[in-house]
Amino acid sequence: MSPRTSEPVAMLRQTVKRRGATLALNGLDLDIRPGQCVALLGPNGAGKSTSVALLTGRLRPDAGTASLFGGDPRDIASRGRMGVMLQEAGLPRTLTVREQVDLFRGYYRKPRPRDEIIRLAGLEGLEKRRCGALSGGQQRRVQFALAIAGRPDFLVLDEPTTGMDIDARRALWSAVRAEIARGCAVLLTTHHLDEAESLADRIVVIDHGQVIADGSPEAIKSRVSGVAIRCRTRLSDAKLSGLARVTGVSRDGGKVTLLTTSAPATLRDLLARDETVDDLTVAGASLEDAVTRLVQAGAPASTRQAEVA
Amino acid sequence: MHTLLVYVREARAQIISTWRTPQFIIPSVVLPLLFYGVMGLGLSKGHEEIAHMMLANYVIFAAIAPAMFGFGAAVAAEREAKLIELKQIAPLPAGGYLAGRLIAALALVGVSIALLGVLAYFGGVKMVPWRWAATLGLGLASAIPFALIGLNVGLRFGSQGATAVANVLFLGFCLFGGLWAPLSIMPAWVGKVADFMPSYHLGQLSQMLSGMQPMASVPHHLSVLGAISLAAMIGAATAWKRQAA
Repeated sequence: MSPRTSEPVAMLRQTVKRRGATLALNGLDLDIRPGQCVALLGPNGAGKSTSVALLTGRLRPDAGTASLFGGDPRDIASRGRMGVMLQEAGLPRTLTVREQVDLFRGYYRKPRPRDEIIRLAGLEGLEKRRCGALSGGQQRRVQFALAIAGRPDFLVLDEPTTGMDIDARRALWSAVRAEIARGCAVLLTTHHLDEAESLADRIVVIDHGQVIADGSPEAIKSRVSGVAIRCRTRLSDAKLSGLARVTGVSRDGGKVTLLTTSAPATLRDLLARDETVDDLTVAGASLEDAVTRLVQAGAPASTRQAEVA
Repeated sequence: MHTLLVYVREARAQIISTWRTPQFIIPSVVLPLLFYGVMGLGLSKGHEEIAHMMLANYVIFAAIAPAMFGFGAAVAAEREAKLIELKQIAPLPAGGYLAGRLIAALALVGVSIALLGVLAYFGGVKMVPWRWAATLGLGLASAIPFALIGLNVGLRFGSQGATAVANVLFLGFCLFGGLWAPLSIMPAWVGKVADFMPSYHLGQLSQMLSGMQPMASVPHHLSVLGAISLAAMIGAATAWKRQAA
């Protein structure tokens, strides 16, 4: 079954959704096909959580369509083929891991064996612990266990690895890859671009409720031809964007990333204007640089701070 | 069959969860039994009519806490933790979550009312079988209006606020409903407040069914209860829709 020709598992078509005074989605198109992992990226408020809410049936579109397995995402039949890991979701403190997993298995007509779920989610040895006694990362693993309890054909992972340590993240990634390999479609939202690059075969960048880029991680990266200069500097963003050959500016803590089409030209200009430049590195543009750049280029105001994903 | 099993499993999980939460179990089950054992039976040796009257009040008292806390504080906590949202996405049949909660609340109320009945029976309370069944059955059924009121609290307040409001309502219903002490020994204004308390009307009906009071103003009691339940149901449905949107 070729992923390109098969029917989409989940689909948003010309979807419009207003939330309060803002237009959260403005004619968004999104297809997710079997065996495909799509990472949905964009700044805060771009429409990621609204897209997730529409595909999981928690919201209805104002215009356009949201469909799951060709039907309404609210149909119980569609929901029975979907597994969801919500951002910031909790667990009942007083139930044990096993009780909570069994409860969710019971919702599905053909649940996965409990031992398989526990193993895939890396919860061995924690089955008898009460959920309230687990660490944040362990609770996320229980939520992943609940999401895969019904052997879903569509898995929604909203910031799945928040609060996890490196080992737990890698274990979860390999579990997600195994789900993809058996043909499950995955919709991933994440703040970690390395997570998107490691799991997704397709990146969709959205902003202002519209798709601004859609392609493989490599294709997205190649949209930013050039080099990233990282450093500490006293110069303002406005001055930095005025430097020779600079195409994008972003900040992360005290550090600045400059995207440029010519590193020597930009460096000469930068060093001439600020002799205090420190911690200087020059590297090929990363996926994060690419997404930042795409969001900045799509933004109406040039001064807008782009905080990726 | 699958749907029915889901309801049962959901209810079982709620019961286990409640059982492990002392702040729910103590007011729900321990307090009514303790109060009844000490005051109804212990202090009234040879006064079976007092034990009898108190039983009629206590079957209502026993229904308030599980319903108010199970639907008020617990729903608010699960809503805040987005657990309700996760269950709405999961293939839980429509109403499965609330049905599970209702079954769990009824089970808890049933246990504490049955224990109250056993205490009363061995304490010397005498009734013909249908009066026993009617008194205990009314106690069980009274969990439904209290659950509807609790659901309003759970859907409209944060988890901290909901616990506080549920406590205040719980105490208010018991006190102003005349369940702990007869209204006749309280100031007159309490009697006026009582008319707005579902606990008062249920208590009166319970007294009548258990044979402690002659049947009187039954339509009045039933219509006030019906109005309160209907208002609570509309309020809960509105709040439920709003959180689903």
